[in-house]
Amino acid sequence: MVWLSILEAIAYYLGLIMIFVGGILDIIAAIGMHRFKNFYMRLHAATIGTIGGAFYPLIGAGLVALTMHWMGVMKYYVAGISFTSAFFLLITAPVGSHALAQGAHKSRTVLPEPVIVDRLLEDEEGGGIEK
Amino acid sequence: MTAVGFVPTQLITIDALGVALMLFVVASIIYFVRLVKGPTVPDMVLAIDVLSYDLVVFIILFSLMCDSPLLAVGALPLMLWAFLLDMYVSKYLMRRELGD
Repeated sequence: MVWLSILEAIAYYLGLIMIFVGGILDIIAAIGMHRFKNFYMRLHAATIGTIGGAFYPLIGAGLVALTMHWMGVMKYYVAGISFTSAFFLLITAPVGSHALAQGAHKSRTVLPEPVIVDRLLEDEEGGGIEK
Repeated sequence: MTAVGFVPTQLITIDALGVALMLFVVASIIYFVRLVKGPTVPDMVLAIDVLSYDLVVFIILFSLMCDSPLLAVGALPLMLWAFLLDMYVSKYLMRRELGD
């Protein structure tokens, strides 16, 4: 029984630390969304905002919810929702941002402004790469 | 179940979660500025994505704070809605149609 109590303490403090680190990473990503000057650069900040700012706090909230005895049986309910949300976020968020970047580049909605060479644009316009 | 020696009480947990919730509120406000003044459409969609992921975390932490688990139902459909928005916007930008 002592070991169970120690495991609960580890889960509680680890979850709380993950929630706080996630909040700080989220603020860093929000500042980065303003300091980057291009859409394709802002994708990096959005990645920090999704994985660091939403995935870690969801895992942490699940771990904290597992140790809340005053919620009764419903603590497993909230923990299950947290872990499922974290799993699906880990799958769907990179796919969504990649699809958004592909759509923005193929439709020429956003062109990468400070650019040296854009081979993808040259390929789509038919200009070849001379050898 | 009875001898809980290391885990703090309910009031201390609620205070800690409330402090953590403020971080997400501040980040959401800064994201909202980017959503309002985003130059192009993909910037706005990216800001909406991160805002909805923040809202998922906000909902779950708030349901833990308020001790009411039924608040956490809307978290999973909200997150999948953000993915659906990404897919539809990229498809509309590429082909100028929404498809099936």
